[in-house]
Amino acid sequence: MTAGFVPLYQRRVALAIKRPIALVSQLLTPVLWVLVVGPAFAAAFHGFARQVDFFTYIAIGQIVFILPFSAMFAGLVVITDRDIGILRELLVAPIRRATIPFSNIAAILTVATGQLVVILGLALVRGAQYHTAPGRLLVGLLAAALLSAGTYGLAEFLAYRITQPAIFGTLIPAIGATPYALCGAIYPLSALPPGVQQLAYVLPWTHAVALLRFGFMGGHASGLDQIWHMHSVWAMALLSLGVLVAFATATVWLALRTFSAATTR
Amino acid sequence: MLTAKVAAIAKPIVTDHLSKTYPGGVEAVRKLSIEVDEGEVFGLLGPNGAGKTTTLGVLTTLVRPTGGAAFVDGHDVVRDPFGARQSLGVVFQESVLDNEFTAAENMWLHARVWRVPDAAARIRSLLEAVGLAERAGDGVMTFSGGMRRRLEIARALLGSPRVLVLDEPTLGLDPVVRYELWQMVRELRSRQRLTVLVSTHYLEEAASVCDRVAIIDHGVVTAEGTPTRLVDELGHEVLEVQVDGDAAPVIDALRQIGRPIRTGSTVSAASREPVGTLTDRANTLGLPELGVTSMTVRPATLNDVFLHLNGVRP
Repeated sequence: MTAGFVPLYQRRVALAIKRPIALVSQLLTPVLWVLVVGPAFAAAFHGFARQVDFFTYIAIGQIVFILPFSAMFAGLVVITDRDIGILRELLVAPIRRATIPFSNIAAILTVATGQLVVILGLALVRGAQYHTAPGRLLVGLLAAALLSAGTYGLAEFLAYRITQPAIFGTLIPAIGATPYALCGAIYPLSALPPGVQQLAYVLPWTHAVALLRFGFMGGHASGLDQIWHMHSVWAMALLSLGVLVAFATATVWLALRTFSAATTR
Repeated sequence: MLTAKVAAIAKPIVTDHLSKTYPGGVEAVRKLSIEVDEGEVFGLLGPNGAGKTTTLGVLTTLVRPTGGAAFVDGHDVVRDPFGARQSLGVVFQESVLDNEFTAAENMWLHARVWRVPDAAARIRSLLEAVGLAERAGDGVMTFSGGMRRRLEIARALLGSPRVLVLDEPTLGLDPVVRYELWQMVRELRSRQRLTVLVSTHYLEEAASVCDRVAIIDHGVVTAEGTPTRLVDELGHEVLEVQVDGDAAPVIDALRQIGRPIRTGSTVSAASREPVGTLTDRANTLGLPELGVTSMTVRPATLNDVFLHLNGVRP
């Protein structure tokens, strides 16, 4: 598996860096929320609970916008590589073919790390207050990685199933951004209508944002209790982590299967 | 028998009763057997849909065969695809370059994936060999079709493959670039003792470049040999006539000379008779009375072999 992994990983990272406009434009909305909209909301509404810093709450919510959106966007590279790029060249390389999607996922995670640092850093500069601990931090970061890898798995699966880039393009906001509005990224799940709340519980986005808040703000602000209605915050965190592991495993497995079927005639 | 089989497998390219039926029942390749010797330039010729690309696909491990076997440098393409790929350099029909990178970056990616030793020197030397050393730092998006092809050939040779596969390498290129490209392949081949498997539609190129060719139609080999031998077997001379009106009487008349074929308003027949004798015989057939407007006797080419095997017969 390792043969060819590093050069292919570096290629995908280089491709992302060579497209700074795409990177910056993807960051525009969450950065705007962190720098302008979030503080304005916090000042205007003073949040929904006294013990929760509403600005930090909103700022962390932006992570579940940028990571899946960016992962979905990266699916376009798969289509380009397949249609007019170097996929066929790589398929005749003396490497295990699964190295190709795995190196893509590793590159997506690298880009996601950069985006995470930008959002958290800007939020910190703007006044966000993080209350973290090593265990919780690890769970939060793992949640971000699993959401990113899981969405990219979905993007790669769809990229091999959909032949037209234009159709794939319509799915980027639909899958990459719509769940952000339903997952409690900018308001608690209790603010959603009951039917929509049930839908939100099954969204990986919901579990990811709850775990990120668990990691950076603590159990009281995470919203995990609204999902699981349990007493032990760690038990709820592990359950949410399990949901994300299942999501990422399923979509990456689907992506590998579809890649294999699409590249072996 | 076994020794002969083992010896055959040791050849750079061997297919043994190779078959590929796609889902839906389309038989692209049917029990196709070819053997390519070391250092040989072997051409796969055939009309669209003949099975050339599928055969190359099996040999490059992109297509899984449904019957028979195929070996590259002794490696079974199904059981040992790594070994087969390690021995291969491939230039695809469509340009397969990383458009966002420079020529040198494209070469470096390949060198690292193929784990090419002393890559910097090899990249420099190959870019020089294909005349792109000066453009190494330029983005491939700015390259012409011919430059892209040259870069792809250089890249395919980076891993010092034993077999170079060229799938329609000159398709869409202008005649000068095509000529230069073949010159380059000849030079590289003689320098590296490469075996080259090429599919092409340009039969005059195949005749001048290939040591041997196989003509494929509907997934089976219909003729195989050196271009000269295939032309000799057909006949040295071709009588070609233009017909105005019903071609059937002309076709019947030309049967006395050879097996006629018709392409549009042209009917031709190849013959082993010398030019003079052929012209005399043609004159005795009363062709002008049958609606023939012009008549030519010319040397037979590989194109005629191809047309007689795959063309529209009356």
